[in-house]
Amino acid sequence: MGKPKHYRPPGKKKEGNAARYVTRSQAIKILQVSLSDFRKLCIHKGVFPREPKKKVKGNHHTYYHLKDVMYILHDPLLEKFREIRAYQRKIKKAKAKKNDELAKLLLSRAPSYRLDMVIRDRYPTFIDALRDLDDPLTMVHLFAMLPAIDRLKIEVKRIHNCRRLCHEWQAYISRTHKLRKVFVAVKGIYYQAEVDGQKITWLAPHARQQVLTDDVDFNVMLTFLEFYEALLGFVNFQLYHSINVKYPPILDPRLEALAADLYALSRYFDANHRAAIQEPQVAGSSRSEQEQEESDLRLAQLQHQLPANEPGALMHLVQDASSEIEEDETTRNCKNLFQNKKIFLSREVPRESLLFVIPAFGGIVSWEGDGAPFAESDDSITHQIVDRPTQGHVYLSREYVQPQWVYDCINARIILPTEPYMVGRDPPPHLSPFVDDEAEGYVPDYAKTIRQLQAAAKSDIQPLPGTGNDELDNSQNMLAEGFINRTEAMEAAEKKQEMMFLEKQYHNELKMELQGVSSINKLNSEDTESKEQSLPDVEEQSAEDPSRLMMSRKKRGLYKAIEMGKQQKKERVEKLKERKRNIEAAQKSEKKHKKAQVS
Amino acid sequence: MGKKSKTSRKGKKAWRANISTEDIHDFFEKSTKDALSGGSLTSAPTESLFFIDKSQDLSVKKKIEKKREKVLRVDSMLKKNPFVEAVPSSKQKSSKKKKKEALNAKDVVQDVPKDETVPDSGMVPIWGDGGQHSGKARQVSKQSIIPAVEVEPPGCSYNPTFDSHQDSLAQAVAEEMQKAYKIELGPQPVPLTVMGEVVDEDDKYFIEADDGNDDQMDEENLSEDDKATEKRPLKTKRVTRVELNKRARRKEQQKKEAEAKKAVEFSKDIDNLPDILQEIAKEDEEKQKRHLRKAIAKQERLKACPPRLGKYKFQPAPPQVLLSEELTGSLRKLKGCATLARDRFKSLEKRGLIPPSAKSGRSVES
Repeated sequence: MGKPKHYRPPGKKKEGNAARYVTRSQAIKILQVSLSDFRKLCIHKGVFPREPKKKVKGNHHTYYHLKDVMYILHDPLLEKFREIRAYQRKIKKAKAKKNDELAKLLLSRAPSYRLDMVIRDRYPTFIDALRDLDDPLTMVHLFAMLPAIDRLKIEVKRIHNCRRLCHEWQAYISRTHKLRKVFVAVKGIYYQAEVDGQKITWLAPHARQQVLTDDVDFNVMLTFLEFYEALLGFVNFQLYHSINVKYPPILDPRLEALAADLYALSRYFDANHRAAIQEPQVAGSSRSEQEQEESDLRLAQLQHQLPANEPGALMHLVQDASSEIEEDETTRNCKNLFQNKKIFLSREVPRESLLFVIPAFGGIVSWEGDGAPFAESDDSITHQIVDRPTQGHVYLSREYVQPQWVYDCINARIILPTEPYMVGRDPPPHLSPFVDDEAEGYVPDYAKTIRQLQAAAKSDIQPLPGTGNDELDNSQNMLAEGFINRTEAMEAAEKKQEMMFLEKQYHNELKMELQGVSSINKLNSEDTESKEQSLPDVEEQSAEDPSRLMMSRKKRGLYKAIEMGKQQKKERVEKLKERKRNIEAAQKSEKKHKKAQVS
Repeated sequence: MGKKSKTSRKGKKAWRANISTEDIHDFFEKSTKDALSGGSLTSAPTESLFFIDKSQDLSVKKKIEKKREKVLRVDSMLKKNPFVEAVPSSKQKSSKKKKKEALNAKDVVQDVPKDETVPDSGMVPIWGDGGQHSGKARQVSKQSIIPAVEVEPPGCSYNPTFDSHQDSLAQAVAEEMQKAYKIELGPQPVPLTVMGEVVDEDDKYFIEADDGNDDQMDEENLSEDDKATEKRPLKTKRVTRVELNKRARRKEQQKKEAEAKKAVEFSKDIDNLPDILQEIAKEDEEKQKRHLRKAIAKQERLKACPPRLGKYKFQPAPPQVLLSEELTGSLRKLKGCATLARDRFKSLEKRGLIPPSAKSGRSVES
């Protein structure tokens, strides 16, 4: 026996789009809730409108899949929403009858709902939750910066909660050195971290007043925020437990009052680590409640006593962390970037961002203000971040740089020379780390110089192999290519060329240093051109790949489309290059004109 | 009891008389008693003093059990007979629901103690230690291929390179221009006010009258035509046999001619068969190409904007680029974006999480 046959009314469709999709008003009728509740339920349960192939009820309706609607129908949350609605009516009635006492009593006992089951339902594994964390983080960071407005029902409590969640997340990332990329754009600061192999990108707004425009439906935004707050709370909980830290962190009230939450959190981490070392002894003796209270007290005391700027203590902690968590190479790289650097932030630089970023890469940081770990007059400070046209009082023992230096160092993963970032100078362009230069084909000048510096930093450790040998190797490899997989060979060749290219640059640089020639760019551009010329023949080989003939018609079409895209990209790069050439030519001619005028 | 005689307390005798020796006497008495009965009980072991009575008191036990076994007649009548099967009142539903209920009950049982253990934070590790919970869950399919946080192009950096900045700027300008052109080239909007004088009430009648005149004229013409047709005499010519024969012959001839023509054409077609095949192949190829182009275009469109989800079309927000004169190279002087809330809202719309609203569309246009 198959499905039981039910009575189908004469007008109803059995299958097809008419049966599978319902409009929003139909869905509301099925669920028996108000529109606002329906919208909330949709957001919490992750049910979003769909576009059916045939819009049976017309083009101006919003359609939902019937299965999605049924999914909501069977959720306990729906019942809870109805209950809340009925309760609200009770309160309203009490108020209307001027029975304030009853209204107050009812209000104090109002039913509420929790989203933990919903989150568990939507994200069966922790990795799933991490994968979907981009939007929650961005939203929570945004609301942490928004002003509280009664008209829009943005409460102070929620904004504080958002700020707390942000700081907790940042403290975790900074503590475990999981930050990878930072990009300062006009919109805000883009961060990318890698947690459990998942790349998480989020956008934090600049520290300035946000404008609330009336074209934004804040009811929708707040509902999303509600879900995201719950989600981020659980994620933070899981992350903190993974590094053996108690989750709702207890912060130093003094630092919290000074709005130095992040620093307070980092100290909380440190204190927790110490407590974790001492705890086995305590646990060994006895486990009575009194003892626990005592240890709590000790923990609190430790938090106050902990010397923040004592390098020995910090090194000790770093060792602890490394012994506990096995780390991959990139994490270790990140951890050691600002090692032994003591950085002081001046008043005018974006403090929140830098306080998060510098410790994430192993640096020690302080700022101007109360509660800071060390003062500006500290002798051991190596760098001071300033963002003003001129610096009045100058300590000779430290270098004064603009904030962009920190971000560029992080993206390049090396300590860049501070000269171009000095006070009063126009810093070099801030490049986006999210752009893959190789894929794009166009490499800005500053990216080239950074790459040279990186190569130089590497060559300090590993000596460069000779060029002649390399060419021999290359030819041998070309012979072997027939046997190896084509694509692999392609990649290898490309890599080799890149290496050669870098080497050439390096040699050229050496030569230029000897000869004292200044025009680096010209040589660079020539090099890239030669690279461009040598690459295509390899690509042509692959074009005649027999596997292409084996592809299905659909795949062949896609392949063609991809090639078209590549062609377009190439053309774009060419255009950019031509433009650059034109600009350079124009500058040269101008110079000539000037010279002619002078002479 | 009589009053005790008052004695002098000065002499030694009197002293002795006043000290009681009762406890000593008691002890002697007890020890002699013990010795006579065979050892003191305090020093004897427990086993020698007590024992477990293993002999059964059968009569009492029987009595109790009998009473327990006895079932009243009333109860026995109500008791279910194991040999008689119960008749179900309706068809039993599948066991799925029962299982679900059992699961739910378990969940409830599990949840309650958890909440009690961690009351202060209200936090429960929902994913467990391994990062995975045991319950079955429906995973909501990801609808959009647009990422939640789109990283701006390098030209939107606060201190971009000249080239990439020009690129982004050009893109922004192109978008603006496109909007302007669309307005310019589109159909002219219906004017809200029309130039001209106000028509008086009296004049209005004249305008209507003119219209009426035209109509009447038309009607007259029509009626004239009708008259003409009526006047014409109904004249039908008689078809003779000769004529019929003629017609039949002509028809036959035409048929023959057509057949001959067809045959000629057919032979012609056979001659240039390869050409036709080529044509068909070409057509097929074109069709396929068109199909492919459509598919690719759809993919591209989905990357840029959501499908039509409601009444209103999605309007993308303009890119946030600094103008050339706003480029300062200093973070302090940066004029950052202050409408990030709108950006987020647009992102939600763009990913198809909410249908675009009229409000957000309109404000961008203006």
